[in-house]
Amino acid sequence: MAGARRRRDATPDAGERPLGVYGYFVHEALRRLWVYRRTSMVAVGMIAIALLTLGTFLLISGNLNRAVDRWQGRSQLSVFLDRDATPAQIAGVREFLTREPSLAKFEFVSREAAYEKFKRHFAQLAPVLAELEQNPFPPSFEVQVTSRDAASAPFTTLLARLRVVDGVDDVQLDWEWVARLRRIANVLSIVGLVAGGILAVAAAFTIANVIRLTMFLYREEIDIMRLVGAKETTIRGPFLLEGFFQGMCGGLLAVGMLYGIFRGARALATGPSSALLWDFLFSEFLPWPTSLALVAGGILAGLFGSWISLRESSEESAG
Amino acid sequence: MIDFYHVTKRFDRYSIALHDVTFHADKGEFVFLTGPSGAGKSTILKLILRQLLPSEGQIVVNGRNLATLKRAQLPLFRREIGMVFQDFKLIERMTIFENLSFVMTVLGVPPRDHKKKAYAVLRAVNLHHRLNAYPPQLSGGEQQRVAIARALINDPYLIIADEPTGNLDPDLSADVMQIFIEANLRGSTVLLATHDREMIRRTGRRVVHLEKGRVGEERPQQAPEVPDSPSTFMQWGSL
Ligand SMILES: Nc1ncnc2c1ncn2[C@@H]1O[C@H](COP(=O)(O)OP(=O)(O)OP(=O)(O)O)[C@@H](O)[C@H]1O
Ligand SMILES: [Mg+2]
Repeated sequence: MAGARRRRDATPDAGERPLGVYGYFVHEALRRLWVYRRTSMVAVGMIAIALLTLGTFLLISGNLNRAVDRWQGRSQLSVFLDRDATPAQIAGVREFLTREPSLAKFEFVSREAAYEKFKRHFAQLAPVLAELEQNPFPPSFEVQVTSRDAASAPFTTLLARLRVVDGVDDVQLDWEWVARLRRIANVLSIVGLVAGGILAVAAAFTIANVIRLTMFLYREEIDIMRLVGAKETTIRGPFLLEGFFQGMCGGLLAVGMLYGIFRGARALATGPSSALLWDFLFSEFLPWPTSLALVAGGILAGLFGSWISLRESSEESAG
Repeated sequence: MIDFYHVTKRFDRYSIALHDVTFHADKGEFVFLTGPSGAGKSTILKLILRQLLPSEGQIVVNGRNLATLKRAQLPLFRREIGMVFQDFKLIERMTIFENLSFVMTVLGVPPRDHKKKAYAVLRAVNLHHRLNAYPPQLSGGEQQRVAIARALINDPYLIIADEPTGNLDPDLSADVMQIFIEANLRGSTVLLATHDREMIRRTGRRVVHLEKGRVGEERPQQAPEVPDSPSTFMQWGSL
């Protein structure tokens, strides 16, 4: 008895054991992924689609926000004059602006200057301009406003007064549409999060089903494991890891595809058909923490999926 | 080591597999469990491994009352028992070595010792040349011997075997029985279900006889034929 007892009394969890068990986890998980690679691919694909959707929205709204950030520092008020404004009218507007401290930093843009500026910025549209019989641009004043002033309440009445000055056609504060763009960017992020979230949950359930299937196929083996004294964690480890790997592959695939789309869009953007909007929607790829977060999201969805199926699985020992 | 107190096991309203079974096996004892097919032998072994719970009565194994054994304690409890299943329960997609290695992983045997131990136990059942075969490639008797090797791999202090010689010819049966006897000599308690009367007679150990779910008389056997020389089977046990 002594021999048998002594060996038994050594703590079963001591020393070398983890290596064996974890090695088994990784080996088993990878093996099952390979054996059921088609089913696994469906799960990976689901995760990838969910994250690609989310990633696309994040990419676009991120770039939109960045563009908005660039403008917002130097908010601009454009005071468009009538196209045939007289020098006296122009002088009157200039006087109005000079009197107001919040509008005092301005620059006059003549019709010719406006035409040149446009030609410089939108070289591709030059042929269109050339076809016009006359210069379509009105003269204007470009006024530098601080964001703080622009946001204040008296500023609105000031603009109302500016609008009715003789010779003034329209007053546009780009701060307004900057704010509008910002809102659009936020809406896009939220839509992306919601759509991506819903798809990710769907993907998690796909993974849960894949793992449920694997568990069903392995039920006999699982029973045997329980009968020889395997802990539930030993039995479940490979399944959790399977979900982890599926989620990770889905996440990496999504980031890879998104990068492909991004490069493709950039290639289009440098072509002759480029539009300004397109240019800045795809100006930069996701920052790497966001890319990492997408992969992490895939992993979480995978773990969540396997967790659901494991939680459901009966812990009853074999009978 | 094993105590059954008035154990009744009903599977459904009409079939009673065990009826008020009370028996006892001492530490270090070698006990045969016998009786005709359907008498309840496998049911008793499954109750010991807590594959099943009794409908009534108490079971104490190695000082532990199985009714109060917590789910989390079950794996550790089972690791102390080497069970030879009537249907072998080998994992078909794993080779013989992998089957043994998996159990050793569960039991906490360091991975670097797996090859050595597997070879030794398989040698004892004379199957060391089939290390890399898959269970379906083996005959019934060979699978049975692998199941025995797996049960004995870590010197469990309780061995329960369900018809471990059911698929073996008389010569091989005698060899296999020798392995159990040696495990018993090394200190393991052995409970062995069989209806091979010749085997029981030759081995000469205590018999618990079951008849339709009830314990019949316990017939002490005549003088046992104790093996006179340590056989080659002894070697692996010293690992
Ligand atoms: N899961 C089950 N559900 C219902 N009845 C069962 C179940 N398992 C066993 N039984 C019944 O319990 C009785 C005892 O079965 P058991 O397997 O213990 O017999 P045994 O003595 O091992 O027979 P054998 O020598 O043929 O293996 C039988 O009548 C059997 O039909
Ligand atoms: Mg039986």
